Amino acid sequence: MIVVENLVKYYGEYQAVRGVSFEVPKGRVVGFLGPNGAGKSTTMRCLAGFLTASSGSARIAGYDVFSDPIRARRQIGYMPESCPLYPEMRVTEYLKFRAGLKGLGWRERRKRMDYVLEKCWLKDVKRQLVGTLSKGYRQRVGLADALLADPPVLILDEPTAGLDPTQIRETRKLIRELGQEHTMLLSTHILSEVEMAADTVIIIYQGQVVENGSLEEVRKKHKNQSLEDIFVRLTGQEGI
Amino acid sequence: MRPLFALIKREFTAYFLSPVAYVTLAVFLLVTGHLFYLVLTGLTKPGSSGIEYPMQALLGDEKFWLVFLFIPPLLTMRLLAEERGTGTLESLLTSPIRDWQVVAGKFIGACLFYFVLWLPTLLYVPILTDMTFPGWNPKTWSFGIDPYPVLTSYLGVLLAGGMFLGIGLFVSSLVKSQLVAAMISMVVSLVFVLAAFWRPDLDSGSLTYRLIYFISVPEHFRRDFSRGIIDSRHLILYGSITLFTLFLTVRSLESRRLRA
Repeated sequence: MIVVENLVKYYGEYQAVRGVSFEVPKGRVVGFLGPNGAGKSTTMRCLAGFLTASSGSARIAGYDVFSDPIRARRQIGYMPESCPLYPEMRVTEYLKFRAGLKGLGWRERRKRMDYVLEKCWLKDVKRQLVGTLSKGYRQRVGLADALLADPPVLILDEPTAGLDPTQIRETRKLIRELGQEHTMLLSTHILSEVEMAADTVIIIYQGQVVENGSLEEVRKKHKNQSLEDIFVRLTGQEGI
Repeated sequence: MRPLFALIKREFTAYFLSPVAYVTLAVFLLVTGHLFYLVLTGLTKPGSSGIEYPMQALLGDEKFWLVFLFIPPLLTMRLLAEERGTGTLESLLTSPIRDWQVVAGKFIGACLFYFVLWLPTLLYVPILTDMTFPGWNPKTWSFGIDPYPVLTSYLGVLLAGGMFLGIGLFVSSLVKSQLVAAMISMVVSLVFVLAAFWRPDLDSGSLTYRLIYFISVPEHFRRDFSRGIIDSRHLILYGSITLFTLFLTVRSLESRRLRA
């Protein structure tokens, strides 16, 4: 579903992503791990079409994100990091606007809006202004937006950052549910989350993929260490 | 086309969700209302000190353009600068919508609000043209004063406004702060207004005057639009600068993807 080949991204002189390649088959939930500044967000932004890669290619469901951006973006539900929203709109207004942007007809829109409001527990706040919502609810609005057009691929950048433990647990449950229908790439810092929700991990460090495989494979390869130990060893931060 | 309409709708309604729109509307009405009062006083004054062209007194005046200078930047400053500042540009540019549609949607939204700004001034028109309504049939309506200067003035105002909005939109795509966007677009717009303030010091036959006449919007209104003349040079200037700034805005969005 997601194919990335030799992706390179420069910010001026600085090379943020240095030849990342990976493949995510249909129906997989992939945990995208790496320390801060490793290039996770940059890679995801290239996939979602917000940034154009300096070289390399990426395909979503067969559509190249650089040469066929509109069709590729239709396949993706993307939730950016820290989830920016328009504070002056109400939740339903915002979702209606996003549905319009994604080209949904009104009948489809009504059906999908009911579905995402239900699925993301937004029913109680649907008339509220986005600006008055707590961080957890805002995150859910972002997730609802990603789900709106029922895309086959979900790309979620730190969906549980800044949530309280109850909300993290709820979100994780939701992600596991969604993983049964959608191919998913989710970045996170919480390793236990990956162990619970994902079936494959990709660890990225200094703009390069250092580990890629199913959870069992990776564990076996590293003599059954915990994911945390593997992560620390691979990203060279042992002893800090 | 559905994404474009959704964006136009959101941009237009967003004006009414912020105080900026109401403040702009109020200030604009205050200024045009005052000018209207001055014109009426001039028109009803007995003797030879009256007004030859009512629209000229309204729109050909430098004072009006000095206030007008602030209006389009206030309308355009948030369009892209705000989205860049708060990061919502990321969700906008990753939805299945082309860059030119993003720019067109924002521009059309701003233009619609600009039309709304002028809408209340239509109330002055029947009085300014000394209109009589004997009945509901438009054929029986008549004007005491030639109505065509009013039509050409509105045409000029809408097209010149489009040009200033285009400039503002482009500047807004370059910076992250709304305040900076507003100030820079005011300075750029000043180029098209300032020349009129030098007019009293210039020989109207000189080469300098003839050159600045090309880009001086208040002069276009004083000499042509408010007197019922449509000079194609002005329309071409407004149209080409609007299209050029919109093109630059699309390019500016594209380059944003390449850089960061």
